[in-house]
Amino acid sequence: MKKQILLVVLAAILASGMLFAQAAPETKAEGPIEITFWSLFTGGDGEFFDAMVKEFNASQSEIVMKNDMVKFDNYYTKLTTALAAKTAPDVVVVHQGNLLNYVPSGSLLALDSYVDATTLADFQQAPLDACRFDGKLFSLPFDVHPIVMYYNKDLMAKAGITKVPQSAQEFIEASQKVKQATGKWGTAIDNTTGVYKAYTLARLFMSMIAQQGGSLLNADATAPAFNNAYGEAALKWLQDLVHVYKVNPTELDYDAAMNTFKLGEAAFYFNGVWATGTLEQTAGLNFGAAPLPPIMGGEAAWAGSHTLAIPVQKNQDPKRVEAAMTFINWMTSHGEMWAKAGHIPTRKSVAQKSEMKALPYRADYAAAAAFALPTPRTAAWEEIYGTLSDKLEFAVTKNQNPKAALADMEQTVKNIIASY
Amino acid sequence: MIPGNKDTRDGIIFSLPFLVVYLAFMIYPLLSGLYISFFKWDILSTASFVGLDNYRTLFSDEKFYSSLWHTLQFVLMTTPTLLVAGFLMALAITGSSPWKGLMENVFFFPYIFSMTVVSTLWAWLMQKDWGIFNQVLINIGQNPVSWLTNERLAMWSVALTTLWWTAGFNMVLFGAGIKQIPKEIYESAAIDGATYIQSVRHITIPLVSSTTVLCLILQIIASFNVFGQVYVMTGGGPHGTTRVLVQYIYETGFKFFKMGYSAAMSYILFLIILMVSILQYTLLGRKENA
Repeated sequence: MKKQILLVVLAAILASGMLFAQAAPETKAEGPIEITFWSLFTGGDGEFFDAMVKEFNASQSEIVMKNDMVKFDNYYTKLTTALAAKTAPDVVVVHQGNLLNYVPSGSLLALDSYVDATTLADFQQAPLDACRFDGKLFSLPFDVHPIVMYYNKDLMAKAGITKVPQSAQEFIEASQKVKQATGKWGTAIDNTTGVYKAYTLARLFMSMIAQQGGSLLNADATAPAFNNAYGEAALKWLQDLVHVYKVNPTELDYDAAMNTFKLGEAAFYFNGVWATGTLEQTAGLNFGAAPLPPIMGGEAAWAGSHTLAIPVQKNQDPKRVEAAMTFINWMTSHGEMWAKAGHIPTRKSVAQKSEMKALPYRADYAAAAAFALPTPRTAAWEEIYGTLSDKLEFAVTKNQNPKAALADMEQTVKNIIASY
Repeated sequence: MIPGNKDTRDGIIFSLPFLVVYLAFMIYPLLSGLYISFFKWDILSTASFVGLDNYRTLFSDEKFYSSLWHTLQFVLMTTPTLLVAGFLMALAITGSSPWKGLMENVFFFPYIFSMTVVSTLWAWLMQKDWGIFNQVLINIGQNPVSWLTNERLAMWSVALTTLWWTAGFNMVLFGAGIKQIPKEIYESAAIDGATYIQSVRHITIPLVSSTTVLCLILQIIASFNVFGQVYVMTGGGPHGTTRVLVQYIYETGFKFFKMGYSAAMSYILFLIILMVSILQYTLLGRKENA
């Protein structure tokens, strides 16, 4: 009996020894470190991103980056649960607007001690500052993707429009000319939920309020600030395009708006810069791109930003963090490859590269990054953004009284903020 | 009884593999959901106890009521149609048609696809500008229909898709029920001069009633839990008019990080389904015994 117990103990010791033996080479070996990555990119974005990761892996032999794509719909769900369990990969993509969901709980690693001053100085100030919370840096901006305008050059020529419209009035006139001369739509602003909500309405609404000197929410993002003349002017313009001038289709969802423009059925189209990649692959589409025009007078445009962050792990391995930082540094400093997807790179050195300057369209709207609006800093943002999109959809497609619509939206946003 | 065997002990041992999984993945999450519903919790930070606050908020949340109403609309649209469609299909495949083998396959075929495939397919078919439905309508000189972008039609379109997708399952259940009815009853009815309609009405329908109750309960539970089709086809739109309760629960939990509130709503949905099921079971069960 005693012998048996001894045997069991021996076996256990042996087994644990083997376990350690197996674990040992990983930390000690001279071979490349394998680190993992989650990105939310699909479609065109996904292809360009994968190509970059491949190039990164080929460019050096110390680090192997494994890219595990998660479908965008489920990305944040999966990321959140992985962060809660502290099993997230070494590097993750987080939209700047979503950082606030993860920073306060300490799920992301503060990067200040891992980035040197020269690297930091190479980043454009505004997108970099957007990644700082209470003075600490929690991610590095990979791109900025503001809403911009695309215009169909052929339709404009047929309608005899020589100058790209800038003001609200010019848009209406140009759109009417297009409709009269060609029978096509003037603008294609999506205003109905399909695969996506009518976020374009919320993006334009937010941009146009800022263009008048206002702001969607107050400075510390604790109350709505759009129920005023600014909000009314913005909403009225969006409604009138559909109902008064009838130059924008109603019941137009995101995909339909994209297709309408791709098929040459509309002269002016507003979307994030990510549309560039798809549009330039469309045969027979002769289009131009420009920063969001000062429709309401000033310069401002809604923008998102993909940022790269490092999750906090149960046992944070400094070597892996270092490898992750090397990866992030490489990715951001090769922004010209990412710009192929349409996005605007965030590093000054990238803007100077000849490959970057050679890309069509990007240079035309790169200036938009300068007046990109930061996402309001409130945990309630995601709910506000989605709810406003729904409410604007109703107001625009149903031609709701703008004053009533704004009052209702204001009350709703107040309630949302109070619930957090 | 075999000597040395203990039925209770062996029973427990044999069901242990199932019980462990069931406890870990069904009962534990169920209870922990109830626990969470008394907290304010964003998944990542420490939860703070709020008592019944989540339930209190819920009863004054306009979005909760509208989502519940949309779910109810879907239940009312799909339950009767799916039962009738399943029953008619079952009649067709248990009849004497030479095509019944083919029909059985054709009717059941859609059910093998995943929700995403079916929903994406139908979303394309029903697309307003380029979908094949509207192309056909335009070709025969009709006005195109806003299948998914009109608030009056959108839920019906989703219901229609669901009908195409899942009616085959009810057909299988009804088919099994019909096949259990003894042939002699039909034969004697036929000798007495009963028409087909009469024998369906007076023999088939009464004798499959236990299957009908089963289908009804399963269908109502499934319809109350609708989420996928709506999420893929309309995204809850237009302007939130097809947002169903499970979608709101999902968004509240995983998009807005209000886990406690989300769990509280799940429990209300659970209670509703429980009550409906008990009500049905007692009402319909009693009728059957009488």
